[in-house]
Amino acid sequence: MVKIVKSTVLNAPVEAVWAVLRDFNGHDQWHPAVADSIIERGYPSDKVGCVRRFHLADGSELRELLLTMSDADMAFSYCLHETPVPLLNYVAHVRLAPVTDGDRTFWHWESRFDTPPGRELELKTMVAENIYQGGFDAIRAHMGLGG
Amino acid sequence: MARVYVSSVIDAPVAKVWAKVRDFNALPRWVPAVRESRIENGEPADKVGCVRDFHLQNGDHLRERLLGLSDYDMFCTYSILESPMPLTDYIATLRLTPITDGDKTFAEWTAEFDCAPELAADLVSGIGTNVFQAGFDSLKRQMVA
Repeated sequence: MVKIVKSTVLNAPVEAVWAVLRDFNGHDQWHPAVADSIIERGYPSDKVGCVRRFHLADGSELRELLLTMSDADMAFSYCLHETPVPLLNYVAHVRLAPVTDGDRTFWHWESRFDTPPGRELELKTMVAENIYQGGFDAIRAHMGLGG
Repeated sequence: MARVYVSSVIDAPVAKVWAKVRDFNALPRWVPAVRESRIENGEPADKVGCVRDFHLQNGDHLRERLLGLSDYDMFCTYSILESPMPLTDYIATLRLTPITDGDKTFAEWTAEFDCAPELAADLVSGIGTNVFQAGFDSLKRQMVA
């Protein structure tokens, strides 16, 4: 099983970052890897158990299920249902915490998954750098934040 | 129940910061308000259950018991046994988390305690500012050096 942990600090109050991230269907607005996204069956995007169906820039389709969502903890988790990329048993957790020293935001993004034998490093690097670190950088651009 | 929460970013790898703060007897080396400290009964400072007996710069005397210490999760939990502060049932946790983006440290320090309601705001602000944030400011200065 592969485990990934990526974290960063954003120069914005935690409430502002949470307002963007808590929209489980909003990732196509800011993540460069996501071309379009809908929530299946017309559910609200903060209904635990809802499924987001989205396409990557290369056209591949993925479905992810919202497992938990907490405004009190500013955290949510989700798993991958269907994907052309072989990330198996993929479960991810996102959580925010206030940095009271400077009114900034700590953002922690972690996941565990299995891969076909021999592809661990390749897929770990892809998720950690393209999806998570790429997501950090994209939120900075989306919210107009400096480094 | 009053609650204190202070968090900061230390510009140093988490292992380096943890090496400093995991020593339950090391407060005088990084919390400016603390003058001197010893562990009672000659016990090691990472023995869960040990008691640190220390004095502040103003002469106040405190005793605190180590309740939990994890090198894996990088946290330390302790309670106040004796202090001149008008509070009871004080439990605090200092926790470090790596910031992978830039190899820095996210430091969180929380405390919960009971006290008279009219004293809560001053106690929360005093502990948060004079101890927790002052400790983080000191770490930030030391880690730059």
